Amino acid sequence: MDQKELRDWEAKCIQEEPPACRAGCPLSVDARAFALAMAKGDMDAARTILEKSMPLAAITARLCEAPCEQFCIRKDLGGAINLGLLERLCIRETQPKGKILRLPARPKKVAVLGSGPSSLAVAFDLAKKGYPVSVYHLEPAPGAWLRALPDAVLPAEILDEELRRLTALHVTFTAVPALDAALIAAHPADAVYVGQDDTIAPDLLAGLGSPDTLTFALDRPGWFTGGMGLTDHPYRFITAMSHGREAAVSMDRFLQGASLTSSRVALRHGSTALFTQTRDIAPLARVTPADAAGYTRPVALEEAGRCIDCQCLECVRHCVYLKENGGYPKSYARRVFNNSAIVQGARQANKFINSCSLCGQCETLCPNDFSMADMCLDARQQMVREKRMPPSAHWFALEEMRAAGSDQAALARHASGMVASAALFFPGCQLSGIRPAQTLRLYDRLLELDPQTGIWLDCCAAPAHWSGRAEEFAELAKKLETTWTDMGGPKVVTACSTCLKMFREHLPQLGAVSVWTVLAEEPVPAAAAHPALALSDPCTSRHDERTRKDVRTLLENMGQALAALPMSGELTECCGFGGLMDNANPALARKVAAARVAQSDADFLTYCAMCRDQLAKTGKPVLHILDLLFPEIAHPASEPPASISLRRVNRRMLKTAVLERYGQDGMPRQPWEDVRLQISESVAAVLEERRILEDDLRQVIFSCKENGRCFVHGDDGRRIASAELGEVTFWVEYREERDVFTVLKAWSHRMRIAGGRI
Amino acid sequence: MSLVFLPEDMNWSCEPCGVPLEPGKVELAYLGQVFHVELPVCPKCGAAFVYEELAQGRIFEVEQLLEDK
Repeated sequence: MDQKELRDWEAKCIQEEPPACRAGCPLSVDARAFALAMAKGDMDAARTILEKSMPLAAITARLCEAPCEQFCIRKDLGGAINLGLLERLCIRETQPKGKILRLPARPKKVAVLGSGPSSLAVAFDLAKKGYPVSVYHLEPAPGAWLRALPDAVLPAEILDEELRRLTALHVTFTAVPALDAALIAAHPADAVYVGQDDTIAPDLLAGLGSPDTLTFALDRPGWFTGGMGLTDHPYRFITAMSHGREAAVSMDRFLQGASLTSSRVALRHGSTALFTQTRDIAPLARVTPADAAGYTRPVALEEAGRCIDCQCLECVRHCVYLKENGGYPKSYARRVFNNSAIVQGARQANKFINSCSLCGQCETLCPNDFSMADMCLDARQQMVREKRMPPSAHWFALEEMRAAGSDQAALARHASGMVASAALFFPGCQLSGIRPAQTLRLYDRLLELDPQTGIWLDCCAAPAHWSGRAEEFAELAKKLETTWTDMGGPKVVTACSTCLKMFREHLPQLGAVSVWTVLAEEPVPAAAAHPALALSDPCTSRHDERTRKDVRTLLENMGQALAALPMSGELTECCGFGGLMDNANPALARKVAAARVAQSDADFLTYCAMCRDQLAKTGKPVLHILDLLFPEIAHPASEPPASISLRRVNRRMLKTAVLERYGQDGMPRQPWEDVRLQISESVAAVLEERRILEDDLRQVIFSCKENGRCFVHGDDGRRIASAELGEVTFWVEYREERDVFTVLKAWSHRMRIAGGRI
Repeated sequence: MSLVFLPEDMNWSCEPCGVPLEPGKVELAYLGQVFHVELPVCPKCGAAFVYEELAQGRIFEVEQLLEDK
């Protein structure tokens, strides 16, 4: 990812866009944060938020007409949050946050003619920046129409106190009999603001002209004006403050010799790209104050509590992975960028990048189609290209893939007695490993429908793709294409959604279809015998509406009722295996599966073998659709998942079983396959967690028996043997009794032992 | 930092050498980095013993650190 790509990714995520209330505030007050602080009863924090954006907050918060309320997302759900009254209560109940900081003094001088709200805003903003500001006001005191307000609205002592704060910021007030043109000649300044929300003499007004609507600059360089035409304005006060704020920005730029318009963000007038889902938000009526004095504290808390805390987070709410990492896609894009940009030290986001299931739910949910899958897959491919992909992250899945595609397990044959295939059944390596007998039964059913159906046992190479190994994936795809061509190029029928997706995206010439589509067109012999089941679509079927529909047709034909599962169809969720999440971050994969099965009390049903076993790891009863189609060889819903060792053995056995149908011998047994192991349940669980195969242990023990090298315990004769098998060194502690090896412990490491000496 | 790693139970002998393991110097390597540590070693043939706690603990941590470098 380079800087431009980072910016492109960041621009897609709208979570940092302002909420509508803030976008609708001419002073950009963070009204959402204010309301949330008020709802918590933390009025001091709420005041700090107001003071951060408001000039002279004690006046502004009392007079603000809250134009934000017209944009509040709550508006149609019980009424907008009464931010105006909340501001008043907050400012009444709290004290100012102490001295206002002023930047170091600057030499250029500012003159402000008038002392209405816009003029006071100019004085406040520029004084804070270090400019000496002279405010000229009509006799007797500054404040213009603010002076005429009743005490209940703006007490005179509050106005005076705020003016004293301006004085402390080096603002000087000079009373004059008229705000006229003569003042300028008498008091030259580097920049002048004329506040038309005060009584300006006609001679001065006549010569001003109209200001620029964005910058409030007049034609005469260094002259600015605002506050005009507001007397009958519904947001008279806050608009005047906004004019002053915008003019002050321009004056500061002018005094520094900068462009008045460059990189300037225009007022949003409520416009924001932030999306807020309101579907599940119940209407809640606005809380009305008991009397004209406004809210009391408890009532204000209740009203503030109606704030729905507008956020997008559409993707984060539904994805355990996105939630677990504490951010949102925009912040994650920065994390991914920083991970590749780092020169020295540890790369903090490798695991993060490798943990995404690439399931694509975020992209479907996102109003802007932000795809974490695309971002993480790009990052993985870059890591592989730059030879910095952690070797252990995807090691086991790649080993599985290579084993499934090896001579030991792979095969492609026309149907027995046939010389060509009209269709080629590709069950997928996980179904073959997890449900070998059902795989053969399914093949037999396809043969009944079309005797010219061949069989193709292999892996679709998804793990190479998911792990970012583009070169290896391209080679494997080429190999698959060659096999398919050698078989005469028949239609490929697959029982795995992942294989189907991989073929359609990378080998479209295979014309792959789902086996469930083929079966849905035919009569179904089985009748369903289960209560309503929650059907969990595999994440790789998200954009395959046809297959999802055909699965439902098939179930309907069997009379199988379905229980509601909220995140289904194109919004479906991953089981924790997709994108090799389970390899890079097994703990997260467990959480993902747990969150998925918690979405329904009903037993689960799926049509992906890996989904079945991943979800079943939680203890939830989960059926595979083949359990319904072929009840005579159904596995119980409560059956624990097949172990990694069993899956490996099953694939070999399946190939042997297929070969036997052709009257051929199975694959020759490796000599180590005859090592007889005894493994307790607890040790088996450790092997599973550490991804150590029984085959690995057989090879280690076999090589120990061959070369006679091991360690023996002095007390009880326990033995420890080790062997380097590929990238990993495996160790096993065992007892041997009458040619049976009882495994006591097993462990492994990737570090190489280069030899030892005393 | 101590780079001596010995299991609690050192009552292991090398087969076929037939001699008890003793603390000895071993070179471990991963991703181009080499570490010199002290492990149980056969004084006769030099075979080194990476015991379970060491493999699952410190060695695993270092492997992960190196992979993220």
